[in-house]
Amino acid sequence: MSLHVRPILSALMRNRTGAVLVAMQIAIALAVLVNALYIVVQRAEKMGRPSGIDVDNVMVVASAGFTDRFQTVPSIQDDLGWLRSLPGVVAASVTGSVPLSDGGNNNPLVTRPGAHPTDNFNALEIDEHGLAALGVRLIAGRNFTHDEIQPPLTKSDSSRFVPEIIVSRALGERLFPGQNPLGKRVYDSLDQAATIVGVVDPIIGNFPSNDHPDWVYFLPRYPFAFGGPLNYVVRTQPGQRAALMRVVEAHMAKSNPDRVIDYVRPLNYFRDLTYLSDRAMEIYLITVTTLLIAVTCLGIFALATFNVSTRTKQIGTRRAVGARRRDIVRYFLVENGLITSAGVVVGCALALGAGYWLSIAYALPRLNLYYLVGGVLLLWGIGQLAAWQPARRAAAVSPSVATRTV
Amino acid sequence: MLGYYVRLALKSFGRNPGITTLMVLAIALGIAVCVMTLTVYHAMSGNPIWWKNDRLYAVTMDNWDPKQAYSKKSTLPPPEMTYKDTQVLFRSDVPVRKVMMYATDGVISGVGTVPSERAQTRVTTADFFAMFEVPFLYGNGWGAAADSPAQPVIVLSRDENEKLFGGANSVGRTLRWNDHEFRIVGVLDDWYPRPRYYDLNGGQFNPPEKAFIPYGWGAELELLNNEETDCWKPEKLDTFKDFMASDCVWIQMWVELPSRSSRERMQSFMDGYWAEQHRAGRFQRPRDNRLTNVGNWLRDNKVVDTDNRVLVGLAFAFLAVCLINTVGLLLAKFLNGAPISGVRRALGASRRQIFTQHLIEVGALSVLGALLGMGLAALGLAAVRHLYASAHLYHRGGYQELMHFDVTGVIWAVVLALAATLAAGLYPAWRIGRLPPALYLKSQ
Repeated sequence: MSLHVRPILSALMRNRTGAVLVAMQIAIALAVLVNALYIVVQRAEKMGRPSGIDVDNVMVVASAGFTDRFQTVPSIQDDLGWLRSLPGVVAASVTGSVPLSDGGNNNPLVTRPGAHPTDNFNALEIDEHGLAALGVRLIAGRNFTHDEIQPPLTKSDSSRFVPEIIVSRALGERLFPGQNPLGKRVYDSLDQAATIVGVVDPIIGNFPSNDHPDWVYFLPRYPFAFGGPLNYVVRTQPGQRAALMRVVEAHMAKSNPDRVIDYVRPLNYFRDLTYLSDRAMEIYLITVTTLLIAVTCLGIFALATFNVSTRTKQIGTRRAVGARRRDIVRYFLVENGLITSAGVVVGCALALGAGYWLSIAYALPRLNLYYLVGGVLLLWGIGQLAAWQPARRAAAVSPSVATRTV
Repeated sequence: MLGYYVRLALKSFGRNPGITTLMVLAIALGIAVCVMTLTVYHAMSGNPIWWKNDRLYAVTMDNWDPKQAYSKKSTLPPPEMTYKDTQVLFRSDVPVRKVMMYATDGVISGVGTVPSERAQTRVTTADFFAMFEVPFLYGNGWGAAADSPAQPVIVLSRDENEKLFGGANSVGRTLRWNDHEFRIVGVLDDWYPRPRYYDLNGGQFNPPEKAFIPYGWGAELELLNNEETDCWKPEKLDTFKDFMASDCVWIQMWVELPSRSSRERMQSFMDGYWAEQHRAGRFQRPRDNRLTNVGNWLRDNKVVDTDNRVLVGLAFAFLAVCLINTVGLLLAKFLNGAPISGVRRALGASRRQIFTQHLIEVGALSVLGALLGMGLAALGLAAVRHLYASAHLYHRGGYQELMHFDVTGVIWAVVLALAATLAAGLYPAWRIGRLPPALYLKSQ
């Protein structure tokens, strides 16, 4: 069956402005759709990575000592003793910074003494309950023991390292590619050595937006207690966090006059804030792209409807000289198909151009061509769908119209 | 004549209500998305102290690791300086004003029954307030003599004064900062430079600190920078003195240089210091002593992120689709009404009059579109603000403050809407004016 493209094409060429405008819309729509989708998928993947942390059941308590009487270690022991005694608390630990918050420490580690460090890795100080308090899974080796927990660094002793560390699987792989990191020794910038005693996985540390948020290691030490508050991470039984947060805030705000409780917050707060711009970007892109497709679609529909009503007489004439209803429908659908195809061809070029710019701006891999194929098919389908109803209307034109004058 | 054309336009809208609605909606959506995106972009890319762009300079020097640059993504020097280098540069009398500063943790207590509370505090030299043109509600900053040896004086933000003293003039009263007694010498008026250009660490759009104390307290009380401290050199840092003598960067330095010659003198002072230190074994990276004005500072620190650029591109692509859509629909609609224009031409209307008449119809459409677009943009911004507010539950400020729909934004939107739609309507109106009338008269 021939589609009789030639006459349709020549009719289009005689009145091309409308067609060119529709094709332009389709071209832009394709370029936007494909690239927006690509960015949205990247963001969804980023936000969907398993953090390895029981975010929904962890609260963070920030305690800032501010008088000379404030004693870090007794205060920590006091607070942790009380927190762990609370019914509903699974585990509690002290830490220097808040996981997933986009703030914390990055320090270099090397595998040979004296080697020049090339990367910094995310370091988190915890005690022997730290992994349980975050809900992080140990996949090899062992946890820290109580006796291994080091006293905090102080203003007159701030270069000390620790004898043991626990690393993320990703960091182990980075430091010792293809080997089992357990039992291996690593060195800090002053060539002080530590032995890897455990491996955790999965884990996203303090900096979800970094290139390698999973290069994380844990230090068995009470945190550096000046230049910022101490943070407690407290994991509760499912469903009990909200109630326990109120209990914790009420008690700890009064339990020690030499410090203030800066906040008691769910860990979700920090994670959501860190991912806020990604989420906003996602919502914005999806909304605008949907609107854009809808506008394009309505435009095609309206133009097709208009064309049908201005061509009533020609359609009637064609019907009178023997065209069947489906010939008329086919005419309009083929016409739409031709316009859409022209738009799609230009759109592919636009999409690839925009994609190239985005890949440089975001330092991302080039646009995946599957997106382009999907976008082309989608716009083609939408175009046909938008033209369908006007085409049906056209088919309903009676052949007798041809005999009338207006 | 104008009134008649407007009546004609309204009549014409009534002839195809569906198409008219679609056109108004398309224009409105295009305008709304553009206004929203540009409002945010404008707020982010703004230079809050543009009038001092040729006077105010951030000072940076590249003291980093000879083997690798500060950042893996650029060759710029670190955005902060070491303590020891700023001490030397600060001695220069070339700048008319100069500032060394950083942010630290503080707890304010000892004010009646107000509970003790953590207050982010800026440790800074005296010129801060005059240099960045910080407005005062009560009192003033401190004099340079109070910086060293450090005097127990403190300046509060307006919000903090509200919280502690119910907004009363608190100058002369005392409070305890980290359990040391300080006397209040000034209270700031509302001051929210966005972006927070003077120190972009710790949240580029966060509000300024709640309290300000003289720089000398940093060494006296061994206060650390709680926002950004970066070290590269393997060196033992066992005391705060070690830290102050280290190659760690944590101090922001700004200078005010009113003329080209003073800028050149400052540059040569820095270069001289660099050369002397270079000979002594420091500064082993290529010489890169910078005086960066605020505009470039914001650019170098990537305050406007890629997402925002992408969104502006998207907004214009969207507006383009909406306008092309409108052109197509206008064209179809005008051509459909060609017989009427034919009759009007035959009765004596000039091409020009037909053109004007159609352009007025377009103008009426664009006014409707702009009004609706403005409404939609306001709704959209409210939605974005809601999104940010729900995430920033615990503090004011940050991005949500960017979403305010200001007067300039509204004016821009109106201009944009009118210009864009009129541009879109030019071609259809011109086409319809050019049609030979006879053709349409014949078939009647």
